[in-house]
Amino acid sequence: MSSWLDYTINGLIVGNVYALVAVGLALIFGVSRLINFAQGSIYLVGAYIGWVAVVQLHTPLPLTIIVVAAAAAVVGLIIERFGLRPLQNSVRIAPLLATIGISFVLDQLVMLTFSPNPRALPSQLPDVRFQLGGGTIGPLDLLIAGVGITSALLLFVFLRYSKLGWAVRAASQDRDAAMQMGVDVNRVNQAVFGIAAALGGVSGMLVGMYYNQIDTAMSLQATLKGVVAEVVGGAGNVPGAVIGSLLLGLVESYGVAVFGTSYRNLFAFLLLVVVLVLRPNGLFASARQAPPEPLTGTFIAPSRPVRIPRWALAVAAAGFAILPFFPVSFYVLQTLINAWLLGMLALSLTLVAGTMGQVSLGHAALLAIGAYTSALLSLTLSVPVGLAVIGGGLVSAALGTLLISPSFRLRGHYVSIATLAIGEIVSLVILNWESVTRGPIGISGIPPLSLFGYDLISPTSIYWFSFAVMVVLALLQGRLLGSHLGRSFRAIRDDDIAARAYGLSLNRYKSLAFIFGGFAAGVSGGIAAHLYSYINHETFNTQQSILALTVVILGGLGNVVGAIVGSVALVGLPEVFRIAAEYRILIYGIVLLLLVRFRPQGLLGTI
Amino acid sequence: MTTSAPEPLLALSNVNTFYGQAQVHFDLSITVARGHIVCLLGGNASGKSTTMKIILGLVKPRSGEVTFDGASLIGLSTPQIVRRGIASVPEARRLFADMSVRENILMGAFVRNDRDAVAQDLDRMLTLFPKLGQRLSQRAGSLSGGEQQMVAMARALMSRPRMIVMDEPTMGLSPLYVDRVLELIRAINQEGVSVFMVEQNASLALEIAHEAYVLQTGKIVLSGSARALKDDPRVRDAYLGGSEAA
Ligand SMILES: Nc1ncnc2c1ncn2[C@@H]1O[C@H](COP(=O)(O)OP(=O)(O)OP(=O)(O)O)[C@@H](O)[C@H]1O
Ligand SMILES: [Mg+2]
Repeated sequence: MSSWLDYTINGLIVGNVYALVAVGLALIFGVSRLINFAQGSIYLVGAYIGWVAVVQLHTPLPLTIIVVAAAAAVVGLIIERFGLRPLQNSVRIAPLLATIGISFVLDQLVMLTFSPNPRALPSQLPDVRFQLGGGTIGPLDLLIAGVGITSALLLFVFLRYSKLGWAVRAASQDRDAAMQMGVDVNRVNQAVFGIAAALGGVSGMLVGMYYNQIDTAMSLQATLKGVVAEVVGGAGNVPGAVIGSLLLGLVESYGVAVFGTSYRNLFAFLLLVVVLVLRPNGLFASARQAPPEPLTGTFIAPSRPVRIPRWALAVAAAGFAILPFFPVSFYVLQTLINAWLLGMLALSLTLVAGTMGQVSLGHAALLAIGAYTSALLSLTLSVPVGLAVIGGGLVSAALGTLLISPSFRLRGHYVSIATLAIGEIVSLVILNWESVTRGPIGISGIPPLSLFGYDLISPTSIYWFSFAVMVVLALLQGRLLGSHLGRSFRAIRDDDIAARAYGLSLNRYKSLAFIFGGFAAGVSGGIAAHLYSYINHETFNTQQSILALTVVILGGLGNVVGAIVGSVALVGLPEVFRIAAEYRILIYGIVLLLLVRFRPQGLLGTI
Repeated sequence: MTTSAPEPLLALSNVNTFYGQAQVHFDLSITVARGHIVCLLGGNASGKSTTMKIILGLVKPRSGEVTFDGASLIGLSTPQIVRRGIASVPEARRLFADMSVRENILMGAFVRNDRDAVAQDLDRMLTLFPKLGQRLSQRAGSLSGGEQQMVAMARALMSRPRMIVMDEPTMGLSPLYVDRVLELIRAINQEGVSVFMVEQNASLALEIAHEAYVLQTGKIVLSGSARALKDDPRVRDAYLGGSEAA
């Protein structure tokens, strides 16, 4: 039995770890107005460098900390120099997407180097616990607290008394004015990335020691927690990030005390959503602070879309439709079925992110809602599968829109954070709502696809079915974009202030976009559930959300044909080149990075 | 004093500037003579602030030349240009709101490394702007508009510039402060600092300027000595959108 004091100590220790991540995020946000989604990857790299140092080089603890901090800082400097600095003059979404691509690449490189299996990271400290009031505390707790406090002090001294520290503060308050004082913003960026990476790397190492285990899943978790803490404290606010982290640690720890371990993350993301809705500038933002990010107009790379004549589209569609009459392998059909399912998700995302400008990072949640709805309707209520899939689409449209609606008043990067959090919340609710979703066990024995009483079991019939559904959704979406509604969507994306001035209701249009997009994604998830016959809370994960985003950017944001072309390319090309599965995510990350850098408007152009 | 025209310190020649597709400057040419106060007049959205940004390297012209003390500024970064000796008082002052007044003023000396001389200059600023003495440790964002303007000017002087560019230094100030600011600009100028200022308020600016230019939708429609322009009816017309000068 742990006492409340134990939970408090644990909360503060975990909060210290979060603080090391969040402070770096806050420094970077302050200077660049960028949420660095690669922060968790640096944390991961730090943990594995720590493992190499401790297990293979047998370095003493102080040296381990220095090695990890230095190596992580170098990684941070490389990211800044080669990943982000070239994007300085590109559209506002570009650096955010680049950090996502970088995080994929780093995580996969770690996984390929060290294998995905967890490893033990011994702490080198004696395993004793001291009594403290009614609780206990160990040397590792003290080490983490010590590192946290020391880092905070060093950072304070740096910002307050060094010339570079002044430059960092000035640049984060007014970048242009700082340049007019002679501040070299590139050096400031370098400094904050180096510091953020050093702190993040050490944090990863400490966490590895705390749990005596490291694995590649740590990365995304760390990014999410760091972002939560940072936003709670007020984006860009360094002391706020520390307090936000401690608060997050405590909320999680007490949540675990009352409800159990599987609720830990749920509390974190609920805290985030509540703060975003009630105080988007964070708990400690001063009233006079400018509203975050007036991101309009230049958010999405403007371009002239490639015009594809209708007859060419019709020929291409006919070609794919008659493909099964040719002697193609089961493998080719299977690959294309995956492409069509991803295509439906991409249609949904390209509408929401491209046409509407709400860059969602949690789109896989819509798949999950559609999949669970359809599976449960057919299994427990014996609804015919065809209807169940449509039901999945409808519930996903309604529930997805409802869940996302608190974020309608947010803009730019904040939409991405909120959707990411909402996506995580959906997956955590599925995990914990056992009476309905069967919790961690998942749902098995989902009946196969069927239409009017005929089971669709042969690959050919599944191919035709999924292709037809995707084409219908694409045609509908094409209609939508050409209509008055589509023009209103784009007007809101390009300048929401002007759009509101013209009397467009942002909430109504954003709802409509999410309803349509939610339906397409829900149908895709529903079909997938009946194909897989087994789903659980991890079947539809963040990796899929990011994959869909890559597809959409590859095709050209807002571009319907582009979404489908992107899906076929991203699913098909690795098959054509026979790229081993473990390298695929790495390739996707690299594709995303190259696109953002060299062709932000995608293959077919944004609309 | 006005008999022989001094060699220009700053010269913009045939500058064309675009924001995306929209052209903001059309063959803009402006010179600032050494030791002079030159004023750029113009209505809203005529491209005044953009001219400042061109000089400071914050916006790059598509074509044209900008020289300072005979050397081209094109291709230099803003910090490099600042190090050549150009300081600025930006539009709406743009102080570092969460830093103290002292820190703001000292930020102006960011390009300098002579600590002792910087400390002396800080004292000099407090004699020039006596009101700031009691406010040194206050958050800059909490000052009144007029006080902020004083800080912005002190900050600009701290780099010991050869030239100061100012964007609407009197905007939003009470008449009392407007007079004070104009007086200070004249005083700064008399210490040998050239001044290029952007203004909407023509009659005020022409009080202290040596030369002036009138900008209308990106084109210079009038220029000459301030004395001559003061009585020119076209100065007023330019603001009302008169097109006879174009
Ligand atoms: N960053 C920018 N991107 C696109 N257009 C811009 C940008 N900055 C200014 N503009 C446009 O360029 C034109 C000139 O702007 P500028 O700020 O130079 O005018 P100004 O004369 O300083 O106006 P004001 O008196 O209102 O300060 C305006 O039409 C403005 O809308
Ligand atoms: Mg202006």
